[in-house]
Amino acid sequence: MTKEELIIKLKAIVKPYIQDEEAFKNLTEETDFINDLKINSANLVDVILDVEDEFNIEIDNDSMEKMLSVKAAMQIIEEKLSA
Amino acid sequence: MIGNDIVDLELAKTQSNWQRKGFLEKQFTADEQKSILNSENPFLQVWLFWSMKEAAYKCYVQEFQKRFFAPKKFSCKILSKSEGIVEIENYLYYIKFSISEYYIQSFAFKNKNSKMVSDSFFIEEKVSKTKATNQQMLSYFSDDVVVQKNEFGVPFLYQQEKKLPISVSTSHHGNYGGFAFLNT
Repeated sequence: MTKEELIIKLKAIVKPYIQDEEAFKNLTEETDFINDLKINSANLVDVILDVEDEFNIEIDNDSMEKMLSVKAAMQIIEEKLSA
Repeated sequence: MIGNDIVDLELAKTQSNWQRKGFLEKQFTADEQKSILNSENPFLQVWLFWSMKEAAYKCYVQEFQKRFFAPKKFSCKILSKSEGIVEIENYLYYIKFSISEYYIQSFAFKNKNSKMVSDSFFIEEKVSKTKATNQQMLSYFSDDVVVQKNEFGVPFLYQQEKKLPISVSTSHHGNYGGFAFLNT
């Protein structure tokens, strides 16, 4: 999977939870789930569970701890997919 | 140091599904899961624990200046109808909470005897929730005091570019907002 494909999939996953349309439209690797997209922290776990389902991977507690941005999520997904 | 968190119960019903597979396992300790499932009102128990964890997290971030997502590391104990404790890595935070028909608000402190000023309020649908919450808190201070967040999302009060020695915490969710502050 290319980086672009990964971002497109991630974008579809976070869409139901975002509260800042403008930041969502301009989403890049640098986008922060909470500070930029204003995802409610109670919905972060939904993002993580959706990522697990979509990519058929398991995100352990240590990885989950870092999943605060698009970049971190991409790194974790790539790492789990290649494991 | 102080942390506070508010959960709009009506919004929580539609925004999250606590019965979703993995939801409890990822965020709550084995003991917490047991209390939730044995509770008369599991929904309320989920959100009480959640708000306690979130309030404690806000205190923890102020102290250690790092962000992370590890709700399971914050383990909750309920002591009474309005008090609890959250433990993370051998640090203890004292919790005061209140549950109304419409929302849950939790406060976390390092020192049990901290005297805080706090409030909670209804926020209209149309206004900026962050702005409305900050305005309510700033009404306790003189006109030249402003709220600024640092890179970790920790809020501080500034008066003419000078940081005030006050620990503050704001929160909003759905139609409710709240804040708390104490002198440091």
